[in-house]
Amino acid sequence: MSDAGQGTIWRCLLCGLLVLVPVLHGQAADRVVSLNLCTDQMLVLLAPEKIIALSPLAKDPSLSFVAHEAERFPSVRASAEAVLRLRPDLILAAPYGAQATLAVLQQEHIPIVRISLPQNLAGIRRMTRDIARTLDVTARGDMQLERMDAELAEVPHRDRVVRALVWEPRGFTAGPGTLMHALLRAAGLSNMSDGRRIGLEALLRRPPDLLVVPTTPAYPSLATTILQHPALAGIPQREIPPAMTICAGPFSAQAVALLAQ
Amino acid sequence: MIRWLVMLLAVLIPISLLTGDATLALPDNLIFWQLRVPRTMLGLLIGGGLGLSGAVLQGALRNPLADPGLLGITGSAGLGAVIAFYWGFAAEFPPTLLAGGLMGAGIGAAFLLAFAGRAPSGPSLILAGVAVSAIASALLALALALAPNPFALTEITYWLMGGLADRPLSQVEMAGPVILLGGVILLKLGRGLDALSLGEDAARSLGIPVAATLRMAAIGTTCAAGAGAAVAGSIGFIGLVVPHLLRPWVGERPGALLPAAALAGGALLLAADILVRLAPLMLPLSTAPPVGVLTALLGAPFLVAIARRSVP
Repeated sequence: MSDAGQGTIWRCLLCGLLVLVPVLHGQAADRVVSLNLCTDQMLVLLAPEKIIALSPLAKDPSLSFVAHEAERFPSVRASAEAVLRLRPDLILAAPYGAQATLAVLQQEHIPIVRISLPQNLAGIRRMTRDIARTLDVTARGDMQLERMDAELAEVPHRDRVVRALVWEPRGFTAGPGTLMHALLRAAGLSNMSDGRRIGLEALLRRPPDLLVVPTTPAYPSLATTILQHPALAGIPQREIPPAMTICAGPFSAQAVALLAQ
Repeated sequence: MIRWLVMLLAVLIPISLLTGDATLALPDNLIFWQLRVPRTMLGLLIGGGLGLSGAVLQGALRNPLADPGLLGITGSAGLGAVIAFYWGFAAEFPPTLLAGGLMGAGIGAAFLLAFAGRAPSGPSLILAGVAVSAIASALLALALALAPNPFALTEITYWLMGGLADRPLSQVEMAGPVILLGGVILLKLGRGLDALSLGEDAARSLGIPVAATLRMAAIGTTCAAGAGAAVAGSIGFIGLVVPHLLRPWVGERPGALLPAAALAGGALLLAADILVRLAPLMLPLSTAPPVGVLTALLGAPFLVAIARRSVP
């Protein structure tokens, strides 16, 4: 068995254990706090009625796909004091960030589910089911996935090879193994990147058929000024709102549709 | 000496045009005109402006440590440019970026001028420059914290290291004339600086208007170094190093130093930028580092050496 396969199995076992925690505590949680942008979005999609608070980023339309829906929920920063005051019976978090806060909350015996963020469509399905089960809304999880599969099924098939390059500020690209790679493939595009950074000159030496760039944010950004460089004028650009691609979720299908256009 | 420097530039300019991001080859038209020509021109202009500013400041203030970076002029230019950029003025009307940089540099230079009027030379002037730098970087952090872009603080870290990569031709067209104007102002100060090197009283007796000379030095530096910083961030130490490198060749007379310092500054920055572009070929780097990193790495030990020599 490959290392990757073994890793997945361990991760599944771990996820399973974590999912069990609230179940062992009795009935499913109904006062849920999310401390991470990605779990915020899943929580809004799956169980809005259980939300006590979301992370402040959930309301930022440039980062969050559900910014509009998240508007009506309270925000909480990842501070142990602020979270404890809310008396949650479940906390959703990512495997990284705010670990010191989470350690304190864990000592207070508040169940914490750390959701690892998926990098492909299979992972999205698995994560959606896991979170739906944790929140005791399995049917809603399945509904989200059905909608995602329906959207993916409508993606048109491409006859010729289109070489795409995801190019982010400072020349970062999305190589194999990333969520963007999976989305490109699902959209029928071939990914030119091997994961290494590519400067403007190297990009022009081997120009892609399609340059996938993050949507220029509403605020002035030094990093995205490079996209206005006149030397790029000849290459077709497709803007993807970062809110669609920062986190993976059933809504990732819409990013695929946008890429496949 | 001038002839040697011109020959050096005649060698460096073609190399710069042939040196790409980790490649050495003649590029196609697009890459040549849109990337390499602006980069080479900016290197020459900004390096020249910094070298000349350093030579004038060291002469006018009679301080071997004077440099637009150490005196805080580049730092305050960066502050002005950052405010213009992040608060959206530059997006509405690009020359605001330049205006912001010039305004910042001008305020920094005016502060120094007021200070230099009282204590014209010695370490206290450098300390005043350190104070200007500190205020500029504190206000910069404040401006970034208030900026609408949540990533501003991260972005600016890179920008402040100073770089010439991927600047479009429009920025050369914007900053170039201002740098050249500053250069002309500074080059005309040669006679005044020669007289000043004898002391302020001696200069006055020779009919040199000392205050006006210092003021023109401040205005020229604001244009030459401030416009450069608005486009390329703070590229340090060029202004400090160049006059010291040249003095063994052209002598101590500040007036003779000026044209050579302009040429040598351009050559030094261009050479540093070529080295930086080739760095990924020699070192395990995925992209070229900003050129300001290299000038700081080379310049900081130089500063220590000068400081040790000038403090007995």
